[in-house]
Amino acid sequence: MESKPRMLVILDVITSLLFLTAVGMVFFYAPLEAVMGQVQRVFYFHVANAWVGMLGFMVAAISGIAYLRKGDRKWDIVGLSAIEISFVFFFTAIVSGSIWARGSWGTWWTWDPRLTTAAICELVYAAYFLLRQGIEDPDRRARFGAVYAILSFISVPLTFISIRIFRTIHPVIIGAGGSGAEGSFDMSPRMLHTFIFSLITFSIIFADLLWHRIRLGKLAEEAENLRLKTLQ
Amino acid sequence: MINTLLLQAPAETTRYLVAGYTVIFGIMFLYIISLIVRTRNLKRQLELLKELDLE
Repeated sequence: MESKPRMLVILDVITSLLFLTAVGMVFFYAPLEAVMGQVQRVFYFHVANAWVGMLGFMVAAISGIAYLRKGDRKWDIVGLSAIEISFVFFFTAIVSGSIWARGSWGTWWTWDPRLTTAAICELVYAAYFLLRQGIEDPDRRARFGAVYAILSFISVPLTFISIRIFRTIHPVIIGAGGSGAEGSFDMSPRMLHTFIFSLITFSIIFADLLWHRIRLGKLAEEAENLRLKTLQ
Repeated sequence: MINTLLLQAPAETTRYLVAGYTVIFGIMFLYIISLIVRTRNLKRQLELLKELDLE
């Protein structure tokens, strides 16, 4: 495998600096929220994690379409990589959201439409890994992965709009809030700067991790091909 | 009533902040470590397979 590209090294450095800046903004630049107190600071990275989750699931669906159209296995590697990263970040969003809910709502979990659709979405993508593992033939596995990534993407917009179409206690940060929302707050300019900066930073973290994960996927494919060749 | 609300301090929720960021940083760290470990293992495996292929 070729050595790490210079662009990737630069991206690693930029990503690290952005991440440290975002952490600094969350703890030292964003003001303390008047009602919820310190736990509100979880919100910045909680939303950013959820955003990366949804972004990656979308990338996987697009990769699925590209694979079905072109039949190139590199799209399968892109799709798998995007889903793996997004699965981890979406899981983090669910757990950090639960901790935020305990501090804000007084409960770790409630079967609210947003929490329920998010949990379903995560489980749908958990099944992706389990089902993929059961398919030996690489081409069949890639075809299945592509179709599954496209179909399971339905759960993503459903999760996003759930707080807008159902009565919910989950706050709506972007756009008009639900009437029953609890823990919602008005963002001051400094809060908004931190929020937007965190979203941009996490998008770049996603791009950086995706590049690394694709390289790992190519390495795995190379090893699999060589293993098959050795066995023959 | 309004005066009472205005004078009220924010809720004491620091421990949830600590728990939240421990989870966020912890999972990110573990994922990055898993990427590094898997890459290293695959590189070793590839070297071994290449040696076997040459034999």
